[in-house]
Amino acid sequence: MSRRAFFEGVERDVLAAMKRPRPSYWIALTAAALVFACGLALWGYQMVRGMGVAGIRHPVGWGVYITDFVFWVGIAHSGTLISAVLFLFRAGFRSSFNRFAEAMTVFAVMTAGLFPLIHLGRSWFFYWLFPYPSQRLLWVNFRSPLVWDVFAVSTYFTVSAVFFYVGLLPDLALIRRHTRGIRQWFYRVLSLGWAGTARQWNHYNQLYLFLAALATPLVVSVHSVVSWDFAMSMVPGWHTTIFAPYFVAGAIFSGTAMVLTLGIPMRRILGLEKYITKDHFESLTKMLLVTSLIVTYAYIVEIALAWYSGHKFETAHFSYRLFGHYRGMYAIMVICNCLLPLTLFVRKLRRNIPYLFVLSILVNVGMWLERFVIIVTALAKEYDPYSWGTYTPSWVEIGITAGSFGMFFTFFLLFTKLLPVLSITEIKEREE
Amino acid sequence: MIPRWEYEDPEPFVKKLKELRERGVPADRIAVLMPYPVHGFEQIMGLKPSPLRFFTLGGALTGLVLGFAFPILTVRDWPLITGGKPLISIPPFVVIAFALTILLGALASFVGFLHLSRLPSVPGIQNPEEHGNRFVIEDHSEGVS
Repeated sequence: MSRRAFFEGVERDVLAAMKRPRPSYWIALTAAALVFACGLALWGYQMVRGMGVAGIRHPVGWGVYITDFVFWVGIAHSGTLISAVLFLFRAGFRSSFNRFAEAMTVFAVMTAGLFPLIHLGRSWFFYWLFPYPSQRLLWVNFRSPLVWDVFAVSTYFTVSAVFFYVGLLPDLALIRRHTRGIRQWFYRVLSLGWAGTARQWNHYNQLYLFLAALATPLVVSVHSVVSWDFAMSMVPGWHTTIFAPYFVAGAIFSGTAMVLTLGIPMRRILGLEKYITKDHFESLTKMLLVTSLIVTYAYIVEIALAWYSGHKFETAHFSYRLFGHYRGMYAIMVICNCLLPLTLFVRKLRRNIPYLFVLSILVNVGMWLERFVIIVTALAKEYDPYSWGTYTPSWVEIGITAGSFGMFFTFFLLFTKLLPVLSITEIKEREE
Repeated sequence: MIPRWEYEDPEPFVKKLKELRERGVPADRIAVLMPYPVHGFEQIMGLKPSPLRFFTLGGALTGLVLGFAFPILTVRDWPLITGGKPLISIPPFVVIAFALTILLGALASFVGFLHLSRLPSVPGIQNPEEHGNRFVIEDHSEGVS
Protein backbone atom coordinates (compact mmCIF):
# COMPACT_ATOMS: atom_id res chain seq x y z
CA MET A 1 0.00 0.00 0.00
CA SER A 2 1.32 3.41 -0.86
CA ARG A 3 2.11 5.81 1.91
CA ARG A 4 -0.56 8.23 0.79
CA ALA A 5 -3.24 5.56 0.77
CA PHE A 6 -2.18 4.50 4.24
CA PHE A 7 -2.30 8.06 5.60
CA GLU A 8 -5.72 8.66 4.16
CA GLY A 9 -6.81 5.31 5.53
CA VAL A 10 -5.68 6.18 9.07
CA GLU A 11 -7.48 9.49 8.95
CA ARG A 12 -10.62 7.92 7.54
CA ASP A 13 -10.69 5.07 10.02
CA VAL A 14 -9.93 7.10 13.13
CA LEU A 15 -12.27 9.92 12.15
CA ALA A 16 -14.99 7.41 11.22
CA ALA A 17 -14.99 6.45 14.89
CA MET A 18 -16.04 10.04 15.67
CA LYS A 19 -19.00 10.01 13.26
CA ARG A 20 -22.64 9.96 14.31
CA PRO A 21 -22.95 7.35 17.03
CA ARG A 22 -25.09 4.24 16.82
CA PRO A 23 -28.07 3.67 19.17
CA SER A 24 -25.97 1.28 21.28
CA TYR A 25 -23.65 4.18 22.04
CA TRP A 26 -26.53 6.34 23.24
CA ILE A 27 -27.78 3.50 25.42
CA ALA A 28 -24.34 3.06 26.96
CA LEU A 29 -23.89 6.79 27.49
CA THR A 30 -27.33 7.18 29.06
CA ALA A 31 -26.72 4.26 31.39
CA ALA A 32 -23.33 5.59 32.47
CA ALA A 33 -24.67 9.12 32.95
CA LEU A 34 -27.61 7.82 34.99
CA VAL A 35 -25.33 5.86 37.30
CA PHE A 36 -23.17 8.96 37.63
CA ALA A 37 -26.20 11.09 38.45
CA CYS A 38 -27.32 8.57 41.08
CA GLY A 39 -23.86 8.75 42.62
CA LEU A 40 -24.07 12.53 42.77
CA ALA A 41 -27.53 12.34 44.29
CA LEU A 42 -26.24 9.99 46.97
CA TRP A 43 -23.37 12.36 47.69
CA GLY A 44 -25.97 15.10 48.13
CA TYR A 45 -27.95 12.81 50.42
CA GLN A 46 -24.82 12.21 52.48
CA MET A 47 -24.20 15.96 52.76
CA VAL A 48 -27.75 16.57 53.94
CA ARG A 49 -28.01 13.63 56.34
CA GLY A 50 -24.41 13.62 57.51
CA MET A 51 -21.65 11.03 57.49
CA GLY A 52 -23.79 8.61 59.51
CA VAL A 53 -25.26 7.31 56.27
CA ALA A 54 -21.84 5.88 55.40
CA GLY A 55 -20.67 2.71 57.10
CA ILE A 56 -17.41 4.25 58.33
CA ARG A 57 -17.29 4.67 62.09
CA HIS A 58 -15.02 3.82 64.96
CA PRO A 59 -12.70 1.91 64.66
CA VAL A 60 -12.78 1.77 60.85
CA GLY A 61 -12.73 5.44 59.84
CA TRP A 62 -11.34 4.84 56.37
CA GLY A 63 -13.50 2.63 54.23
CA VAL A 64 -14.77 2.40 50.71
CA TYR A 65 -14.17 6.09 49.89
CA ILE A 66 -10.45 5.87 50.55
CA THR A 67 -10.37 2.49 48.78
CA ASP A 68 -11.94 4.15 45.75
CA PHE A 69 -9.50 7.03 45.93
CA VAL A 70 -6.48 4.72 45.91
CA PHE A 71 -8.07 2.56 43.22
CA TRP A 72 -8.72 5.44 40.83
CA VAL A 73 -5.36 7.09 41.35
CA GLY A 74 -3.84 3.69 40.63
CA ILE A 75 -5.85 3.29 37.43
CA ALA A 76 -4.43 6.58 36.21
CA HIS A 77 -0.83 5.44 36.48
CA SER A 78 -0.49 3.14 33.55
CA GLY A 79 -1.73 5.92 31.24
CA THR A 80 1.27 8.01 32.22
CA LEU A 81 3.54 5.00 32.02
CA ILE A 82 2.39 4.27 28.48
CA SER A 83 2.50 7.85 27.29
CA ALA A 84 5.65 9.09 29.04
CA VAL A 85 7.89 6.17 29.97
CA LEU A 86 7.28 4.19 26.79
CA PHE A 87 7.85 7.39 24.80
CA LEU A 88 11.30 7.79 26.35
CA PHE A 89 12.00 4.11 25.65
CA ARG A 90 10.74 4.51 22.06
CA ALA A 91 8.40 1.52 22.34
CA GLY A 92 6.58 1.16 19.04
CA PHE A 93 3.33 -0.25 20.39
CA ARG A 94 2.85 2.88 22.50
CA SER A 95 1.15 4.85 19.73
CA SER A 96 -1.71 2.33 19.62
CA PHE A 97 -2.61 3.04 23.21
CA ASN A 98 -1.22 6.36 24.33
CA ARG A 99 -4.11 8.64 23.38
CA PHE A 100 -6.91 6.78 25.11
CA ALA A 101 -4.63 5.75 27.97
CA GLU A 102 -3.88 9.43 28.56
CA ALA A 103 -7.58 10.23 28.47
CA MET A 104 -8.11 7.41 30.95
CA THR A 105 -5.46 8.97 33.21
CA VAL A 106 -7.09 12.38 33.19
CA PHE A 107 -10.57 11.00 33.87
CA ALA A 108 -9.34 8.57 36.54
CA VAL A 109 -7.53 11.34 38.43
CA MET A 110 -10.64 13.50 38.20
CA THR A 111 -12.69 10.65 39.65
CA ALA A 112 -10.08 9.95 42.31
CA GLY A 113 -9.91 13.62 43.29
CA LEU A 114 -13.58 13.60 44.25
CA PHE A 115 -13.19 10.90 46.89
CA PRO A 116 -11.22 12.85 49.49
CA LEU A 117 -13.93 15.50 49.17
CA ILE A 118 -16.70 12.92 49.56
CA HIS A 119 -14.85 11.51 52.54
CA LEU A 120 -14.46 14.95 54.13
CA GLY A 121 -18.09 15.07 55.10
CA ARG A 122 -18.30 18.83 54.99
CA SER A 123 -17.19 18.81 51.37
CA TRP A 124 -17.82 22.51 50.94
CA PHE A 125 -14.74 23.24 53.07
CA PHE A 126 -12.47 21.40 50.63
CA TYR A 127 -10.38 24.55 50.11
CA TRP A 128 -9.08 24.19 53.66
CA LEU A 129 -6.79 21.55 52.17
CA PHE A 130 -4.88 24.19 50.25
CA PRO A 131 -2.42 26.58 51.82
CA TYR A 132 -3.83 30.06 51.44
CA PRO A 133 -3.56 33.15 53.60
CA SER A 134 -6.68 32.97 55.73
CA GLN A 135 -8.22 35.14 58.41
CA ARG A 136 -7.33 32.46 60.95
CA LEU A 137 -3.65 32.99 60.07
CA LEU A 138 -3.23 29.21 60.06
CA TRP A 139 -1.33 27.31 57.41
CA VAL A 140 -1.63 23.66 56.51
CA ASN A 141 0.73 21.19 58.14
CA PHE A 142 3.31 20.41 55.47
CA ARG A 143 4.60 17.51 57.53
CA SER A 144 1.34 15.65 57.04
CA PRO A 145 1.13 13.03 54.27
CA LEU A 146 -2.42 14.18 53.58
CA VAL A 147 -1.07 17.57 52.51
CA TRP A 148 1.58 15.86 50.36
CA ASP A 149 -1.32 14.08 48.71
CA VAL A 150 -2.98 17.37 47.83
CA PHE A 151 0.20 18.51 46.12
CA ALA A 152 0.98 15.17 44.48
CA VAL A 153 -2.51 14.57 43.09
CA SER A 154 -3.15 18.12 41.89
CA THR A 155 0.27 18.19 40.22
CA TYR A 156 -0.48 14.84 38.65
CA PHE A 157 -3.81 16.00 37.30
CA THR A 158 -2.40 19.25 35.88
CA VAL A 159 0.61 17.64 34.24
CA SER A 160 -1.41 14.76 32.75
CA ALA A 161 -4.00 17.17 31.40
CA VAL A 162 -1.32 19.35 29.78
CA PHE A 163 0.42 16.31 28.35
CA PHE A 164 -2.85 14.98 26.96
CA TYR A 165 -3.72 18.30 25.37
CA VAL A 166 -0.27 18.87 23.87
CA GLY A 167 -0.36 15.42 22.32
CA LEU A 168 -3.73 16.26 20.79
CA LEU A 169 -2.69 19.53 19.11
CA PRO A 170 -1.60 18.27 15.66
CA ASP A 171 -4.57 15.91 15.52
CA LEU A 172 -7.01 18.68 16.39
CA ALA A 173 -5.62 20.71 13.51
CA LEU A 174 -6.17 17.69 11.30
CA ILE A 175 -9.79 17.15 12.34
CA ARG A 176 -10.62 20.75 11.58
CA ARG A 177 -10.06 19.90 7.92
CA HIS A 178 -12.63 17.11 8.02
CA THR A 179 -15.44 18.93 9.83
CA ARG A 180 -17.85 21.69 8.95
CA GLY A 181 -19.77 24.46 10.69
CA ILE A 182 -19.89 24.72 14.44
CA ARG A 183 -17.96 21.49 14.91
CA GLN A 184 -15.18 22.89 12.80
CA TRP A 185 -15.04 26.03 14.93
CA PHE A 186 -14.76 23.88 18.02
CA TYR A 187 -11.66 22.18 16.63
CA ARG A 188 -10.28 25.39 15.17
CA VAL A 189 -10.27 27.07 18.56
CA LEU A 190 -9.05 23.95 20.34
CA SER A 191 -6.15 23.54 17.92
CA LEU A 192 -5.09 27.15 18.67
CA GLY A 193 -4.45 27.73 14.97
CA TRP A 194 -1.70 25.11 14.73
CA ALA A 195 -0.20 25.06 11.24
CA GLY A 196 2.70 22.61 11.44
CA THR A 197 5.52 24.95 10.49
CA ALA A 198 9.14 23.92 11.00
CA ARG A 199 9.46 26.36 13.89
CA GLN A 200 6.34 24.95 15.60
CA TRP A 201 7.47 21.35 15.19
CA ASN A 202 10.90 22.25 16.51
CA HIS A 203 9.43 23.63 19.74
CA TYR A 204 6.76 20.96 19.84
CA ASN A 205 9.19 18.05 19.77
CA GLN A 206 11.19 19.62 22.54
CA LEU A 207 8.07 20.26 24.61
CA TYR A 208 6.82 16.73 24.18
CA LEU A 209 10.15 15.30 25.26
CA PHE A 210 10.30 17.54 28.32
CA LEU A 211 6.74 16.78 29.34
CA ALA A 212 7.48 13.06 29.02
CA ALA A 213 10.58 13.51 31.13
CA LEU A 214 8.66 15.50 33.74
CA ALA A 215 5.75 13.04 33.82
CA THR A 216 8.01 10.01 34.21
CA PRO A 217 8.96 10.67 37.87
CA LEU A 218 5.25 11.21 38.55
CA VAL A 219 4.58 7.57 37.63
CA VAL A 220 6.69 6.62 40.62
CA SER A 221 6.05 9.51 42.97
CA VAL A 222 2.28 9.94 43.04
CA HIS A 223 1.36 6.50 44.23
CA SER A 224 4.32 6.51 46.61
CA VAL A 225 2.85 9.59 48.24
CA VAL A 226 -0.56 7.90 48.35
CA SER A 227 1.04 4.88 50.01
CA TRP A 228 2.63 7.15 52.63
CA ASP A 229 -0.86 8.19 53.73
CA PHE A 230 -0.77 4.73 55.26
CA ALA A 231 2.89 3.95 55.75
CA MET A 232 3.61 7.13 57.74
CA SER A 233 1.14 6.09 60.42
CA MET A 234 1.85 3.67 63.28
CA VAL A 235 -0.83 1.18 62.29
CA PRO A 236 0.28 -2.48 62.07
CA GLY A 237 -0.02 -3.65 58.47
CA TRP A 238 0.52 -0.12 57.16
CA HIS A 239 3.76 0.97 58.76
CA THR A 240 6.21 -0.65 56.37
CA THR A 241 8.90 0.56 54.00
CA ILE A 242 7.79 -1.67 51.13
CA PHE A 243 4.56 0.30 50.70
CA ALA A 244 5.75 2.81 48.11
CA PRO A 245 7.11 0.36 45.49
CA TYR A 246 4.32 -2.07 46.34
CA PHE A 247 1.67 0.56 45.60
CA VAL A 248 3.40 1.77 42.44
CA ALA A 249 3.56 -1.74 41.01
CA GLY A 250 -0.07 -2.32 41.96
CA ALA A 251 -1.05 0.96 40.32
CA ILE A 252 0.59 0.08 37.02
CA PHE A 253 -0.86 -3.41 37.24
CA SER A 254 -4.43 -2.21 37.72
CA GLY A 255 -4.03 0.61 35.19
CA THR A 256 -2.77 -1.75 32.52
CA ALA A 257 -5.75 -3.96 33.19
CA MET A 258 -8.03 -0.94 32.75
CA VAL A 259 -6.37 -0.08 29.43
CA LEU A 260 -7.26 -3.59 28.30
CA THR A 261 -10.81 -3.34 29.68
CA LEU A 262 -11.37 -0.11 27.76
CA GLY A 263 -9.27 -0.87 24.70
CA ILE A 264 -10.65 -4.27 23.77
CA PRO A 265 -14.30 -3.27 23.30
CA MET A 266 -13.31 0.12 21.90
CA ARG A 267 -11.11 -1.43 19.23
CA ARG A 268 -13.91 -3.71 18.16
CA ILE A 269 -16.79 -1.25 18.27
CA LEU A 270 -14.86 1.49 16.48
CA GLY A 271 -13.27 -0.94 14.03
CA LEU A 272 -9.65 -0.16 14.82
CA GLU A 273 -8.30 -3.72 14.52
CA LYS A 274 -5.87 -2.58 11.85
CA TYR A 275 -4.08 -0.17 14.17
CA ILE A 276 -4.33 -1.87 17.55
CA THR A 277 -3.08 -5.31 16.66
CA LYS A 278 -2.80 -8.51 18.63
CA ASP A 279 0.94 -7.92 18.86
CA HIS A 280 0.30 -4.62 20.58
CA PHE A 281 -2.04 -6.26 23.05
CA GLU A 282 0.55 -8.92 23.67
CA SER A 283 3.16 -6.29 24.54
CA LEU A 284 0.73 -4.71 26.98
CA THR A 285 -0.07 -8.10 28.45
CA LYS A 286 3.59 -8.71 29.17
CA MET A 287 3.56 -5.50 31.20
CA LEU A 288 0.53 -6.87 33.05
CA LEU A 289 2.36 -10.11 33.78
CA VAL A 290 5.52 -8.42 35.06
CA THR A 291 3.64 -6.07 37.37
CA SER A 292 1.52 -8.99 38.60
CA LEU A 293 4.71 -10.81 39.58
CA ILE A 294 5.99 -7.73 41.41
CA VAL A 295 2.68 -7.40 43.25
CA THR A 296 2.77 -11.08 44.20
CA TYR A 297 6.31 -10.61 45.45
CA ALA A 298 5.18 -7.64 47.55
CA TYR A 299 2.35 -9.71 49.08
CA ILE A 300 4.90 -12.33 50.09
CA VAL A 301 7.39 -9.78 51.39
CA GLU A 302 4.93 -7.97 53.61
CA ILE A 303 3.93 -11.23 55.26
CA ALA A 304 7.55 -12.32 55.53
CA LEU A 305 8.54 -8.98 57.05
CA ALA A 306 5.81 -9.25 59.67
CA TRP A 307 6.84 -12.80 60.51
CA TYR A 308 10.55 -12.03 60.58
CA SER A 309 10.07 -8.92 62.73
CA GLY A 310 8.58 -11.04 65.48
CA HIS A 311 6.46 -7.98 66.25
CA LYS A 312 3.39 -9.21 68.08
CA PHE A 313 0.96 -6.74 66.52
CA GLU A 314 2.35 -7.13 63.00
CA THR A 315 2.05 -10.92 63.08
CA ALA A 316 -1.39 -10.68 64.65
CA HIS A 317 -2.43 -8.30 61.92
CA PHE A 318 -1.34 -10.54 59.10
CA SER A 319 -2.90 -13.64 60.56
CA TYR A 320 -6.10 -11.58 60.83
CA ARG A 321 -5.77 -10.40 57.24
CA LEU A 322 -5.29 -13.93 55.93
CA PHE A 323 -7.65 -15.86 58.17
CA GLY A 324 -9.87 -13.30 59.88
CA HIS A 325 -13.16 -11.68 59.06
CA TYR A 326 -12.13 -10.54 55.57
CA ARG A 327 -10.35 -13.77 54.51
CA GLY A 328 -12.76 -14.31 51.61
CA MET A 329 -11.76 -10.99 50.08
CA TYR A 330 -8.09 -11.74 50.63
CA ALA A 331 -8.47 -15.09 48.88
CA ILE A 332 -10.25 -13.56 45.88
CA MET A 333 -7.55 -10.89 45.74
CA VAL A 334 -4.77 -13.50 45.62
CA ILE A 335 -6.60 -15.49 42.95
CA CYS A 336 -7.24 -12.44 40.76
CA ASN A 337 -3.92 -10.66 41.19
CA CYS A 338 -1.40 -13.47 41.62
CA LEU A 339 -2.72 -16.75 40.27
CA LEU A 340 -4.85 -15.91 37.22
CA PRO A 341 -2.25 -13.61 35.61
CA LEU A 342 0.24 -16.50 35.71
CA THR A 343 -1.70 -18.00 32.82
CA LEU A 344 -0.22 -15.19 30.71
CA PHE A 345 3.00 -17.14 30.51
CA VAL A 346 1.17 -19.08 27.81
CA ARG A 347 1.57 -17.22 24.54
CA LYS A 348 -1.73 -18.46 23.18
CA LEU A 349 -3.60 -16.90 26.06
CA ARG A 350 -1.69 -13.64 25.75
CA ARG A 351 -3.06 -13.39 22.23
CA ASN A 352 -6.60 -14.47 23.09
CA ILE A 353 -8.49 -11.18 23.14
CA PRO A 354 -11.73 -12.35 24.83
CA TYR A 355 -9.67 -14.07 27.50
CA LEU A 356 -7.67 -10.87 28.11
CA PHE A 357 -10.88 -8.90 28.46
CA VAL A 358 -12.27 -11.21 31.13
CA LEU A 359 -8.92 -11.37 32.90
CA SER A 360 -8.55 -7.58 32.91
CA ILE A 361 -11.90 -7.19 34.65
CA LEU A 362 -10.95 -9.80 37.23
CA VAL A 363 -7.66 -7.98 37.85
CA ASN A 364 -9.58 -4.77 38.42
CA VAL A 365 -11.79 -6.55 40.93
CA GLY A 366 -8.73 -8.02 42.60
CA MET A 367 -6.96 -4.68 42.81
CA TRP A 368 -9.99 -2.94 44.26
CA LEU A 369 -10.19 -5.68 46.89
CA GLU A 370 -6.47 -5.32 47.60
CA ARG A 371 -6.93 -1.71 48.64
CA PHE A 372 -10.04 -2.57 50.63
CA VAL A 373 -8.26 -5.37 52.46
CA ILE A 374 -5.19 -3.24 53.24
CA ILE A 375 -7.22 -0.32 54.52
CA VAL A 376 -10.01 -2.03 56.39
CA THR A 377 -8.27 -5.00 58.01
CA ALA A 378 -5.57 -2.76 59.46
CA LEU A 379 -8.10 -0.47 61.12
CA ALA A 380 -10.54 -3.16 62.19
CA LYS A 381 -8.03 -4.81 64.53
CA GLU A 382 -5.52 -2.28 65.73
CA TYR A 383 -3.74 -2.48 69.09
CA ASP A 384 -6.41 -2.38 71.75
CA PRO A 385 -8.92 -5.27 71.76
CA TYR A 386 -11.43 -2.89 73.33
CA SER A 387 -11.60 -1.01 70.05
CA TRP A 388 -11.73 -3.90 67.63
CA GLY A 389 -14.59 -3.98 65.20
CA THR A 390 -15.67 -4.74 61.68
CA TYR A 391 -16.87 -2.64 58.82
CA THR A 392 -19.50 -3.21 56.17
CA PRO A 393 -20.01 -0.62 53.44
CA SER A 394 -23.43 1.01 53.53
CA TRP A 395 -25.65 1.23 50.44
CA VAL A 396 -24.71 4.91 50.12
CA GLU A 397 -21.03 4.05 49.91
CA ILE A 398 -21.69 1.30 47.37
CA GLY A 399 -23.89 3.65 45.37
CA ILE A 400 -21.25 6.39 45.31
CA THR A 401 -18.64 3.84 44.25
CA ALA A 402 -20.89 2.73 41.40
CA GLY A 403 -21.42 6.41 40.59
CA SER A 404 -17.67 6.90 40.25
CA PHE A 405 -17.59 4.20 37.60
CA GLY A 406 -20.53 5.94 35.94
CA MET A 407 -18.60 9.20 35.92
CA PHE A 408 -15.47 7.60 34.51
CA PHE A 409 -17.33 5.83 31.72
CA THR A 410 -19.46 8.89 30.92
CA PHE A 411 -16.32 10.95 30.35
CA PHE A 412 -14.64 8.16 28.44
CA LEU A 413 -17.63 7.62 26.14
CA LEU A 414 -17.82 11.35 25.42
CA PHE A 415 -14.10 11.33 24.68
CA THR A 416 -14.44 8.58 22.07
CA LYS A 417 -16.83 10.72 20.06
CA LEU A 418 -15.26 14.15 20.54
CA LEU A 419 -11.56 13.43 20.14
CA PRO A 420 -9.55 10.97 18.07
CA VAL A 421 -8.96 7.83 20.15
CA LEU A 422 -5.68 7.12 18.40
CA SER A 423 -2.90 9.55 17.73
CA ILE A 424 -3.17 9.92 13.97
CA THR A 425 0.01 11.97 13.68
CA GLU A 426 2.02 9.49 15.67
CA ILE A 427 0.73 6.52 13.73
CA LYS A 428 1.88 8.27 10.55
CA GLU A 429 5.24 8.90 12.14
CA ARG A 430 5.48 5.30 13.28
CA GLU A 431 4.80 4.12 9.75
CA GLU A 432 7.87 5.95 8.44
CA MET B 1 5.23 35.26 -6.81
CA ILE B 2 6.74 33.15 -4.04
CA PRO B 3 8.19 29.85 -5.26
CA ARG B 4 6.22 27.04 -3.68
CA TRP B 5 6.65 23.28 -3.79
CA GLU B 6 4.27 20.63 -2.52
CA TYR B 7 5.12 16.98 -2.03
CA GLU B 8 3.17 13.88 -1.15
CA ASP B 9 6.19 12.12 0.29
CA PRO B 10 8.90 13.23 2.66
CA GLU B 11 11.85 12.03 0.51
CA PRO B 12 11.56 14.54 -2.34
CA PHE B 13 10.62 17.16 0.25
CA VAL B 14 13.85 16.56 2.16
CA LYS B 15 15.79 16.59 -1.10
CA LYS B 16 14.35 19.95 -2.10
CA LEU B 17 14.95 21.33 1.36
CA LYS B 18 18.61 20.29 1.23
CA GLU B 19 18.94 21.75 -2.24
CA LEU B 20 17.58 25.10 -1.11
CA ARG B 21 19.88 25.15 1.88
CA GLU B 22 22.87 24.28 -0.29
CA ARG B 23 21.96 27.12 -2.61
CA GLY B 24 22.47 29.33 0.42
CA VAL B 25 18.86 30.23 1.21
CA PRO B 26 18.77 31.20 4.91
CA ALA B 27 16.62 28.97 7.12
CA ASP B 28 14.39 31.81 8.31
CA ARG B 29 13.51 32.53 4.67
CA ILE B 30 12.16 29.05 4.06
CA ALA B 31 8.60 28.42 5.20
CA VAL B 32 7.88 24.77 5.74
CA LEU B 33 4.63 22.98 6.58
CA MET B 34 4.67 19.34 7.62
CA PRO B 35 1.82 16.98 8.58
CA TYR B 36 4.25 15.25 10.98
CA PRO B 37 7.85 16.02 11.84
CA VAL B 38 10.25 14.48 9.32
CA HIS B 39 13.18 12.89 11.07
CA GLY B 40 16.12 15.29 11.27
CA PHE B 41 14.45 18.35 9.72
CA GLU B 42 16.10 20.54 12.36
CA GLN B 43 19.56 19.61 11.11
CA ILE B 44 18.65 20.02 7.45
CA MET B 45 17.20 23.45 8.04
CA GLY B 46 19.99 24.35 10.42
CA LEU B 47 17.53 25.25 13.19
CA LYS B 48 19.00 25.92 16.58
CA PRO B 49 17.73 23.72 19.42
CA SER B 50 14.54 25.20 20.78
CA PRO B 51 15.11 27.68 23.63
CA LEU B 52 12.17 26.01 25.32
CA ARG B 53 14.58 24.30 27.70
CA PHE B 54 15.24 27.59 29.47
CA PHE B 55 11.55 27.92 30.24
CA THR B 56 11.52 24.38 31.63
CA LEU B 57 14.60 24.99 33.72
CA GLY B 58 13.31 28.32 35.00
CA GLY B 59 9.94 26.84 35.96
CA ALA B 60 11.47 23.78 37.60
CA LEU B 61 13.95 25.83 39.65
CA THR B 62 11.23 28.26 40.73
CA GLY B 63 9.15 25.27 41.83
CA LEU B 64 12.07 23.79 43.72
CA VAL B 65 12.85 27.00 45.61
CA LEU B 66 9.18 27.70 46.25
CA GLY B 67 8.62 24.13 47.43
CA PHE B 68 11.15 24.61 50.22
CA ALA B 69 10.61 28.30 50.93
CA PHE B 70 6.84 28.12 51.26
CA PRO B 71 6.63 25.40 53.95
CA ILE B 72 9.57 26.91 55.84
CA LEU B 73 8.16 30.42 55.82
CA THR B 74 4.63 29.37 56.74
CA VAL B 75 5.76 27.13 59.60
CA ARG B 76 7.85 30.01 60.96
CA ASP B 77 4.87 32.31 60.60
CA TRP B 78 2.94 30.25 63.14
CA PRO B 79 5.29 27.81 64.88
CA LEU B 80 3.23 24.79 65.84
CA ILE B 81 4.99 21.59 66.78
CA THR B 82 3.14 18.46 65.65
CA GLY B 83 4.18 14.89 66.32
CA GLY B 84 7.28 16.08 68.17
CA LYS B 85 9.03 16.78 64.90
CA PRO B 86 11.27 19.78 64.28
CA LEU B 87 9.50 22.78 62.82
CA ILE B 88 11.67 22.84 59.75
CA SER B 89 11.70 19.18 58.76
CA ILE B 90 13.45 18.88 55.43
CA PRO B 91 12.40 15.31 54.41
CA PRO B 92 8.66 16.02 54.35
CA PHE B 93 9.27 19.30 52.55
CA VAL B 94 11.17 17.43 49.84
CA VAL B 95 7.86 15.89 48.80
CA ILE B 96 6.31 19.34 48.35
CA ALA B 97 9.39 20.68 46.56
CA PHE B 98 9.43 17.64 44.26
CA ALA B 99 5.78 18.10 43.29
CA LEU B 100 6.15 21.82 42.70
CA THR B 101 9.34 21.36 40.66
CA ILE B 102 7.46 19.12 38.25
CA LEU B 103 4.29 21.20 38.27
CA LEU B 104 5.94 24.54 37.53
CA GLY B 105 8.45 22.93 35.17
CA ALA B 106 5.63 21.47 33.09
CA LEU B 107 3.49 24.60 33.15
CA ALA B 108 6.41 26.88 32.27
CA SER B 109 7.31 24.56 29.38
CA PHE B 110 3.78 24.71 28.07
CA VAL B 111 3.58 28.49 28.35
CA GLY B 112 7.02 28.76 26.77
CA PHE B 113 5.92 26.57 23.90
CA LEU B 114 2.85 28.71 23.26
CA HIS B 115 4.97 31.84 23.35
CA LEU B 116 7.72 30.52 21.06
CA SER B 117 5.33 28.96 18.53
CA ARG B 118 3.14 32.07 18.45
CA LEU B 119 0.08 30.18 19.64
CA PRO B 120 -2.81 30.68 19.96
CA SER B 121 -2.73 32.33 16.57
CA VAL B 122 -5.87 34.32 15.79
CA PRO B 123 -5.40 34.27 11.99
CA GLY B 124 -4.65 30.55 12.27
CA ILE B 125 -7.97 30.02 14.02
CA GLN B 126 -10.01 32.30 11.77
CA ASN B 127 -8.52 31.17 8.52
CA PRO B 128 -6.44 28.02 8.94
CA GLU B 129 -4.10 27.15 6.13
CA GLU B 130 -4.78 23.54 5.23
CA HIS B 131 -2.24 21.51 3.35
CA GLY B 132 -3.57 18.03 3.98
CA ASN B 133 -0.94 15.36 4.10
CA ARG B 134 1.37 17.33 1.86
CA PHE B 135 4.78 18.70 2.68
CA VAL B 136 5.03 22.33 1.63
CA ILE B 137 8.09 24.50 1.06
CA GLU B 138 7.99 28.19 0.29
CA ASP B 139 11.08 30.15 -0.63
CA HIS B 140 10.75 33.71 0.67
CA SER B 141 14.31 34.73 -0.20
CA GLU B 142 13.38 36.30 -3.54
CA GLY B 143 13.35 40.07 -3.58
CA VAL B 144 15.11 40.28 -0.24
CA SER B 145 18.71 39.83 -1.23
